[in-house]
Amino acid sequence: MKWTCEQTELYLTDYLDGALADDLRHAFDAHVNACDRCTPLVSGVTHALSGLRALPELETPPRLVYNILDATLGPRETVTGWAAVRAWIRGVASPRFAYGSLSLAATFLMIVTASGFNWKKPRLADLAPSNIYRNTNRQAHLAYARGTKYVSDLRVVYEIQSRLRQDNELPTNNEGTVPESSPQKEPGRTDGTSPSTPRQQNRANDANPSLQVLAEELPVLSTRLCFVLSEGRTR
Amino acid sequence: MEQDAQLVQQCLQGDGSAWEELVRRHSRRIFNICYRFTGNRTEAEDLSQDVFLRVYRTLGSYRSAHGGFATWMTSVTRNLLIDHYRRTKRDRITDSLDDAMPVVENKQSSARRPDEQALLGELSQQVQSALTRLSPELREAVILRDLQQLEYSEIQTVLEVPEGTVKSRINRGRIELARILQQMGVRPS
Repeated sequence: MKWTCEQTELYLTDYLDGALADDLRHAFDAHVNACDRCTPLVSGVTHALSGLRALPELETPPRLVYNILDATLGPRETVTGWAAVRAWIRGVASPRFAYGSLSLAATFLMIVTASGFNWKKPRLADLAPSNIYRNTNRQAHLAYARGTKYVSDLRVVYEIQSRLRQDNELPTNNEGTVPESSPQKEPGRTDGTSPSTPRQQNRANDANPSLQVLAEELPVLSTRLCFVLSEGRTR
Repeated sequence: MEQDAQLVQQCLQGDGSAWEELVRRHSRRIFNICYRFTGNRTEAEDLSQDVFLRVYRTLGSYRSAHGGFATWMTSVTRNLLIDHYRRTKRDRITDSLDDAMPVVENKQSSARRPDEQALLGELSQQVQSALTRLSPELREAVILRDLQQLEYSEIQTVLEVPEGTVKSRINRGRIELARILQQMGVRPS
C-alpha cells in the first residue's frame, strides 16, 4: 500500500486511539519508520498527549461553591446569639454524640481507676502518662501476687482437710469389722466409752505437731487450724 | 446520570438541597474546563460561577432525552467560554504580539500567583501555556477529548458539529500542540 505523509497526519488520531484497522496500521508504521518528516511528528504528538494527560485535575476554589449557592439560592441565613447556642446544644445532645462521649468517659475512668488513682485525694501528677503506666504496672503485679498467694493457701487447706479425712476414715472401718453384739471390753475402763484404737491415736498424735507447724507458718489459717487441732485432741 | 436527572427534577420543584448537590457534583469539572481553556484561575472561577448561574436559569429547558446532564452543562460551559473569548479578543490582540516572543511568554508565566506556581509543575505550566495558544475551536476539542475524556459522540453534541469535524479538530489540535511545544523547546516525557 502506498502511504503518504498527508495520510499520516490524517490518520494520526485514529492511530493513537488504537482505532486503526490492522492493514492500515502496518502501512502507517512502515511509512513512519522510514520517513524523516513523519517520525518526529508522531513522537512529538505522542509526547504532547502524554504531557496533556499528566496535567493534574485542579481542586475547586474553596469559595466557589458558596458563591454559586449565594448567587442562585440567595445568601444563607446565619444563626447568631442564643439561637446559635441552642443549635450547638442540639448537635451535642444528639444520641450518637452522647453515646460516643459516654463510652469515652467510661474507658477513661476504667483506665484511671485501674492505675490506682486516688479519687479521694486526686493529684494532677497521677494523671501523667508515665505515672499511669507505673501505677497500672504496680497494680497488675499486686493482683498477680495476691492471686498466687490465695491459690497456695487453698492448696494447703485442701491438703490438711484431706489428711484429716483420711485419719477419720480409718477407725470407722475398724469399728465396722467388730460385731455390735459382742462389744470389746478393755481392762481397767469403767466409764463405758469406746476410745480410739491405739493405731488411730498414734496417727493423730503424729499429725498434730505437723499441723501446729503449719498453723505457725500461716497466720491466716491459724484460727481455723487451732479449731481443727483442738477437735483432734478431744477425740 | 439518572441521579442527575432526578436532582434536576427536584430542583425544578424548588428543592434547594438538590441544587446544592448538583453544584457540588459538577463544580470541579466545570472549573477545570474553564481553567484549561483560559489558563487563568480568577477568570476560570468567574466563568464557572456564570456557568452555574446560566444553568440555574435555564434548567427548565434541559431534557434528559437529549443527553446527559453533564453533557448539557458542558455545552453551556463551552458557549460561555466562546462568548468570553470573543468578548476579550481585543485585549488579546496586544497580548498576541507578546506571545510571539518566547522570552515574554516565559515572563508572563513567571508573573503567575505563587500558589499557581506551586500548583503547576514546570512541565504542566508549559503544556498549559501551549494549550492556551491553540485556536479556540482546536483547544476546546482537545480539552474535551484528552482532558475530560469525552466520547466523540458527546463532543459532537457539545460542539454541535459532525463527528468527522470533531475528529479533524482533535487531530489538528494535537499536531498543533506538539508543534508549539517543540517551538518552546519542550519535550514532555
